[in-house]
Amino acid sequence: MATSGSNDASHSPSPVGRGVEPLRAGQGNSFLLRKLHSLSGIVPIGAFLIEHLLSNFEALKGPAAYAAQVKFLNSLPLVRVLEVCLIFIPLAYHALYGVYIAMRGKANVIYYPWAGNWMYMMQRWTGYIAFVYILQHVIRQRFMGVSLPEHPGAAFHKVQMELANPWMLAVYVIAMIAVCWHFSYGIWLFAAKWGITPGVKARKRFGYVCLALGIVLAGMGLASIYAFVGPDYKNAPAEVAPAQSRVVAPASAGDDSNQYLTLPFLDA
Amino acid sequence: MAGKTIQFEVKRQSSPDAEAMWEKFEVTWKPGMNVISAMMEIAANPVNSSGQETTPIAYDSNCLEEICGSCAMVINGKARMACSALVDKLEQPIRVQPLTKFPVVRDLSVDRSVLFENLKAVKAWVPVDGTYDLGSGPRVFPQQQEVAYPLSNCISCCCCMEVCPQFNDATGFVGAATIAQVKLFNSHPSGKVLKEDRLRALAGDGGVQECGFAQNCIQACPKQLPLTEAISDVTRDVTLQVAKDFLRA
Ligand code: SF4
Ligand code: SF4
Ligand code: FES
Repeated sequence: MATSGSNDASHSPSPVGRGVEPLRAGQGNSFLLRKLHSLSGIVPIGAFLIEHLLSNFEALKGPAAYAAQVKFLNSLPLVRVLEVCLIFIPLAYHALYGVYIAMRGKANVIYYPWAGNWMYMMQRWTGYIAFVYILQHVIRQRFMGVSLPEHPGAAFHKVQMELANPWMLAVYVIAMIAVCWHFSYGIWLFAAKWGITPGVKARKRFGYVCLALGIVLAGMGLASIYAFVGPDYKNAPAEVAPAQSRVVAPASAGDDSNQYLTLPFLDA
Repeated sequence: MAGKTIQFEVKRQSSPDAEAMWEKFEVTWKPGMNVISAMMEIAANPVNSSGQETTPIAYDSNCLEEICGSCAMVINGKARMACSALVDKLEQPIRVQPLTKFPVVRDLSVDRSVLFENLKAVKAWVPVDGTYDLGSGPRVFPQQQEVAYPLSNCISCCCCMEVCPQFNDATGFVGAATIAQVKLFNSHPSGKVLKEDRLRALAGDGGVQECGFAQNCIQACPKQLPLTEAISDVTRDVTLQVAKDFLRA
């Protein structure tokens, strides 16, 4: 037992001999990597998410309209290059670097149960959910089963089959909410951390904007999930002809009728 | 004299490498008592609640009016200043332990030199050393003073770092206090001269980018520094500096 000199400053461990390391002033490139992670969440990934949710919303108009949307997207110039450069690469980066970030944080909501701290933790958990969900979603919907770029007409049926499994349906619903949550809070974080909303009031106001956006996006997403499992388009055929309204303009202008255009492609 | 007593549980550690253990104390209540004054009582009569003689508890304190920043501890699970932690407002037994993210020197006394190192790394000062009289400094307008004053209130207690989920061994994050001081000194008309150095320093590993905006810091800060606002502003400045350096390279 030490009896004297316990208050003697010279006894303290050498400055920061242990404990958290001080700032590595001006060294390393984590700043760039971190900012890239933050930015990639808005563009291109966030932009793609909005596109994806809008496209899915077409499912509410039925299999033919949905097929037309899938066909339209796949007819974009350089679509496969766009897919790799604007979706796969940024998504993989955001996901992997995001896991790295999340694993290095030490959540402490048990001790400090404050709103911002909860959101901090939720941003990490929704990120993990999104990571796992998107991985299986891309593998199963993009790279397994019918290839949708070649068979846009099969899109509705493919998703419907997937969601026919109640477990899968639950996964999609949870993931939809998690992804929209992650994105809308991500926008809020982006504005706060890039110095766009330094003011407390501005951050609060923008919080309401992001909340509204999140609710709208999640609502749209859940509505399109409903389109696949609801009574309106039960047992959609394995492949339908895309509604012909957008890309090319043939004789029969497609309207928003909810009928399947089960057309000659079946013999093609 | 009322025989009212206060129950304490104190996490003790006799040296940086010794094992920590909890020890219980019972202290006679006095009006207006705070955690530090209770420690003083224990020091005057170092006997634990089972009647055994023990060593006085080592702790840091100085001003006893929440202005020196030395007495930060974790009290009932929350990082705060012990001298302003009134026992009447705390649930008993009052559990007192050292800050968890700083190396323990002894008992409740921890080594917070990481903050000093960080302040040095960002040159958190106004460089006015010279061999001749520099004359009076430039005027600081009241509007500027109003922005600067709250930031100058930092007492270097490290509470903001203790509660920050990003301040840990894995990230080596600089913490909110240092970022706020960068904003303070960058806004000073003479301190500005080092602005670019400070921003470049904060773009290093462990810099502003590590903040996850959990906003615990602003909740915990005993001096109510506008920390999140400072982090937002400084991160923008750092980003612009990095972009500028990239284009001017
Ligand atoms: S806002 Fe940043 S600095 Fe403050 S507690 Fe959260 S992560 Fe730490
Ligand atoms: S910013 Fe606040 S919590 Fe952090 S060291 Fe300064 S006074 Fe303490
Ligand atoms: S003793 Fe100075 S802040 Fe508590």
